[in-house]
Amino acid sequence: MKTTKQLLGAVSAFALIAMSSTPALAAGTRAGTTITNSVTVNYNVNGNAQNAVTDSDSFTVDQRVNVLVTAVSTPVQVSPNQLNRVLAFDVTNLGNATADLVLSTALRGGTAANISNIRIFRDTNGNGALDSAEQTAGAITSLDEVAEDAVVRVLVVSDISINAVNGDTFDVALTAAAHTGGTVGSLGARILATSGANTSGIDNVLFDGAGVSDAANDGAFSAQGRYAVSGAVLTVNKTSRVVSDPVNGVSPNAKAIPGATVEYCITVANAAGAATATNVALLDDLPADVTYDSGFGIFINGSATCTTGTAGGNYAPTGGVGGRARITGTLSDVAAGQTRSLYFQVTIR
Amino acid sequence: MKSITKLMLACAAAAMLTAPVAPLAAQDTPPAVSVNGDIKAEKAVTGADGKPAVQLVDPESFLPGDRLVFGQNFANTSAEIVTNFTITNPLPEAVRLAPDADPGLEVSVDRGKSWGRLSALSVTAADGTSRPALHADVTHVRWVLATIAPGASGRVAFPVIIR
Repeated sequence: MKTTKQLLGAVSAFALIAMSSTPALAAGTRAGTTITNSVTVNYNVNGNAQNAVTDSDSFTVDQRVNVLVTAVSTPVQVSPNQLNRVLAFDVTNLGNATADLVLSTALRGGTAANISNIRIFRDTNGNGALDSAEQTAGAITSLDEVAEDAVVRVLVVSDISINAVNGDTFDVALTAAAHTGGTVGSLGARILATSGANTSGIDNVLFDGAGVSDAANDGAFSAQGRYAVSGAVLTVNKTSRVVSDPVNGVSPNAKAIPGATVEYCITVANAAGAATATNVALLDDLPADVTYDSGFGIFINGSATCTTGTAGGNYAPTGGVGGRARITGTLSDVAAGQTRSLYFQVTIR
Repeated sequence: MKSITKLMLACAAAAMLTAPVAPLAAQDTPPAVSVNGDIKAEKAVTGADGKPAVQLVDPESFLPGDRLVFGQNFANTSAEIVTNFTITNPLPEAVRLAPDADPGLEVSVDRGKSWGRLSALSVTAADGTSRPALHADVTHVRWVLATIAPGASGRVAFPVIIR
């Protein structure tokens, strides 16, 4: 029995060394770890303890290459002519070895002409927004030395064209491809699957699933986020009606003869489902043969039928093109499905 | 490919520790028993009788989560009856005992200080609290065979999962 105890003491020392060199991670035992099946046999012959017999078989843990990319929040609402709009992604190294991850983007849906300047930034503080320090740090194309189980948040940043319209969508995929890690500041080679039989060294097994724009077991993964354009859809309509003439007075039958009073009605309608239009400024240069009726004035924020407006706007007698009279006015915010108007009256010369 | 290493140096070191009862010099006399450890994977196959069977094959990969079988083939190569035959198999830290291991296995969860069936063992935490031992707590597996007749051989094995 003494023999057995002493041998186990030696075995325990081995086990302790093994433990310190192989931290147990959620991603699993680190690639390159040697696992040994060691066996010790103690026995007696004729009642006498004999020398122990031992044997062992070892193998090297292979590298499981696995990358995950997830879109953090999608879709992201954008407006036409908006710069530096952010799609946040989390990139996770699910493999059992440190890896470099090469990042790339692809526009998978939407009109390419209406989105530009697609770049990738590292979200250093993980808040999902492009902060000035992160912007100053510059765009990136890879992540260096991503440890097992490490999650890195990155930001895909794009500019939306002024020509994008409400309802447009842009689907941008982010792909992370696993490259060999191990050297800080140096991008390793793309990891390829080890073909053929298991070798005594570290074999590469590509474990990743199929993303939106990559295949399963290709050492890369991709996910996409969507920009949803929420623009105002404004319709401007200008109409006129004869209010009165010198012969018929104020009448439905008033005719557009010299001396008649005419009301101009400018309506601005925003379509249902559109973004609220703000700062809607109207400008109207009057024809040379009408005279602005200062006694009536200018009304803004009126109804679709040019009633119930409030006095506002501005009349500039020679402010228009070619010295013509100019009417200007700024409407309050026009929400989706809403119509606002500006109206004024003139006299035909 | 696997590499098998005969740990004869360790054997010699063990002999020095246990000198008082070692009657013969290790170099001069071959041991009365042989043991051969291996690492295999289980592969589901269809047997000759058409029924599902399990075949032991060389593993195709060694990845976290893979299930392996640590096996020991032993034989009494002498003309003597061998008694108190004890096979001790420490588990490397990077593997854990598989949940479907034989519940009757004699195991240790304290690096060989105490032994028993897993269901009878417990683990004491640093704060003094105790909980039933789990498969992942097992540090050693052993088998004790009372006697092995001359020329007799056998195999013992247990499943593990790479952490």
